[in-house]
Amino acid sequence: MTDYAIEMNGVVKEFKVLNRREGLKGSLLDLFSRDYRTVTAVDNISVKIPKGQIVGYLGPNGAGKSTTIKMMTGVLEPTRGDIIVNGNIPYKNRAKNAENIGVVFGQRSQLWWSLPLIESFKLLKDIYLIPDKEYEDMMALYESLVDMEPILHKTVRQMSLGQRTLSDILAAFLHNPKIVFLDEPTIGLDVSMKAKIRELIKELNRQKNTTVILTTHDMGDVDALCERIVIIDHGKMIYDNDMEHLKSYFGSYRTLKLRLPGDVWEETLIDESKTDVMSVISEHQKKGKILDIKLEEISTEEVIKKIYEGEAVEESASKIQAIYPKDSANPHAV
Amino acid sequence: MNNTLSVRPKRGFRFYAHIYRKVLVQDLKSKMSYRADFIISTFGMILTNVVGFMSFYILFKNFPSINGWNYHEMLFLYGFSLIALTPLQCLFDNNWSLRYAVESGDFIKYCFRPINIFFYFISEVFDVKGLGQLAFGIVLLAYSWSHLGIPVTVVTMVQLILLLITASLFMIAIMNAAAATCFWILRSGYVMILMFRFKDYARYPASIFDGIFKVIFTFVIPIAFIAYYPGLVILRPDEIPLLSKLSPLFGILFFWLSYKFWMLGARRYDGTGS
Repeated sequence: MTDYAIEMNGVVKEFKVLNRREGLKGSLLDLFSRDYRTVTAVDNISVKIPKGQIVGYLGPNGAGKSTTIKMMTGVLEPTRGDIIVNGNIPYKNRAKNAENIGVVFGQRSQLWWSLPLIESFKLLKDIYLIPDKEYEDMMALYESLVDMEPILHKTVRQMSLGQRTLSDILAAFLHNPKIVFLDEPTIGLDVSMKAKIRELIKELNRQKNTTVILTTHDMGDVDALCERIVIIDHGKMIYDNDMEHLKSYFGSYRTLKLRLPGDVWEETLIDESKTDVMSVISEHQKKGKILDIKLEEISTEEVIKKIYEGEAVEESASKIQAIYPKDSANPHAV
Repeated sequence: MNNTLSVRPKRGFRFYAHIYRKVLVQDLKSKMSYRADFIISTFGMILTNVVGFMSFYILFKNFPSINGWNYHEMLFLYGFSLIALTPLQCLFDNNWSLRYAVESGDFIKYCFRPINIFFYFISEVFDVKGLGQLAFGIVLLAYSWSHLGIPVTVVTMVQLILLLITASLFMIAIMNAAAATCFWILRSGYVMILMFRFKDYARYPASIFDGIFKVIFTFVIPIAFIAYYPGLVILRPDEIPLLSKLSPLFGILFFWLSYKFWMLGARRYDGTGS
């Protein structure tokens, strides 16, 4: 047995897309002669995820995140490359793979709409053949983590979005899967519900050593949960490293905010590897009075935004090379 | 924790029967709680059947027989086809939602459980409306049965039950295949509606169709197997054609083929829009 929950090696997924011609005449022509082009949704991704890790899988819309998740869960077959999930090839053994994974997919509830949550749980217990003891232990754990009373006897149809998401996450962890895929679990939720959900995920990961693959656009999720971040864009992996490395990714940036007379805040982004903060402040003091000073760390959000916008993509590519020289395992493998 | 996984039992027929019963009971319970919906849809179904029967009745007021089949024999085929339709309408009704699930991307949720996708999808809905039709069909069949003076023996009863199962299998197979077209084409709703309309021809003896239509309705869209071929066994016991005798086998074959076609589509599914 390997120590990895997921191993991907040079995974490529291509889709054939019909080039549609314009207008009615074009549609008629499409009926007879078809002109396909190949779109690469996932381009040569290799990643190894050890057991028990919470990985943030990020990327702008349409970057290929969902496609990757679908390949990991066995819904899609990769065009090239290998995927091993819990020692299984997901596409070849979809049902077997499904035993050991849990999935929460955005706002699509996977529970039975017309059933009270407790009945859904009992059905899942039967479907996953969960032994009584394990089921009771899990329910006890859930009771200790969240207030189940308001949702247990409600049907999914009657639930608020927050309650539904909560239920879906509980359902995904119920059979104690080795990996749980969470696709935007906090989308559309209020601040307190988000905090609750994050706390729950963190606690379940800690207690059950469940590997969690989290895709999200909410950097709050990333900050609260992820030990490691993988970013893809246009199907290519552009970043893979620890959370700590992320902030120093573009150098050690900090934002210096100075309040000047007339109640104006002036912001300066400072790369501390090049200039130091004090010299900037004294520079300003020569010009005039400074009323107030604030020094802010660059937020995860800003860093991710920069990466998405493709700043220093060339540089980042070489950085990945530097961190993981070709053909050698990445630091997480150790 | 890990070794318990390997000793868990396999999912066989008993497993699926157990899950199915549980889902059905739960679904039925929740349906009953929406009382108005339940009453209106049942009433609508009865009305549909009454209207359908009226046109049949008026037809026979004017033509005492069709191609050598008299009123009571036709009534027999009518009732027979209604009963044969019940399993499709009660148990396989979710096929009608398949294309919406596929188009919206919701179908993906059926791919994440360690059970058969077809079973999981189909088991989700139990439609009680079909039961009114069943009652109507039984009344018609019993009425024509007694008027035709067909003996009630163990043999005829066993034959009847076997033939009804066979006919249901054909009906289900046709709709499975029609629903599964949504995995390939966008406007699959029309295919389903068209196929569902065809079932209305099932209550007429296939001998009234000739040539190419007879071949189509026997082997391509096998509606002749829904009432005609099975009906012959009981109505014309002296001249049972080979196709009638083979119909149970054909029924299983067609059902299996439609299942394979459905599953082929499901494997092809790539979860658009998520």
